[in-house]
Amino acid sequence: MSDAPPDQDPAQAPVEPLYTHPASPFTRTESSLPLQVGGMPSPPPAPAQSTWITYRTQIEIGLALLAYMMFLVGSVTVLRANPDASWRYIVALVPIAPAVMVLFLFVRRLGQLDELQKRIQTEAFGFSLGATALITFAYGFLEGAGMPHLNWTYILPLMAIFWGVSTAVFTFRYR
Amino acid sequence: MKNRLRVLRAELDWSQAELADRLGVSRQTVNAIETGKYDPSLPLAFSLARTFKRRIEEIFDEADSASGEGSSAKAAP
Repeated sequence: MSDAPPDQDPAQAPVEPLYTHPASPFTRTESSLPLQVGGMPSPPPAPAQSTWITYRTQIEIGLALLAYMMFLVGSVTVLRANPDASWRYIVALVPIAPAVMVLFLFVRRLGQLDELQKRIQTEAFGFSLGATALITFAYGFLEGAGMPHLNWTYILPLMAIFWGVSTAVFTFRYR
Repeated sequence: MKNRLRVLRAELDWSQAELADRLGVSRQTVNAIETGKYDPSLPLAFSLARTFKRRIEEIFDEADSASGEGSSAKAAP
């Protein structure tokens, strides 16, 4: 160090590390850290985050969607075997239960987003709602002119596609 | 809005992810603020000020930026 006593043997003086942070443009002129001799500095500890903590919502939604598909296949199978049963309407609604779980997880995740992510989602939802309205109205006019009737269940996948694409686009805009 | 976030962060040798952890936001949000594409809310601006132990005016410059995103009314003296 430069403030060492002048009578000290230079060979005994601690060697000042010149580049404690070579990646930083702000070169530190002094360091209070003791010089480590004969060993490499230990790497910073890995963040104590597991896959479960990082991707909890994605895993839960994935499991709920898996349950939805299993319930859907089971429901359709049972309904085909019992087309005239009195309880067929209840069985037809069984896949809604895991879908409600997906909705709950989705809303919970929205509440966990930070302010920029919420803004991106607002923009994406707005775009997907408007674009879906545009497409469905346009096709409604085409149906009036003779195009074949499409099932209403196409609307949600259409909106989901617009939402996914617009989320990616709006996220990119803030990069 | 221009800001000195990148400089202040570099002085402390923090990564964007580290600052994001301290603020409780995503790394993407820290990056968007640094690049001037997103102006933080008042609570987040105060969190930044507390984190860097500086006044908000020392971090953010109210001079117009190119993006003008989220520009708010300037405080009257």
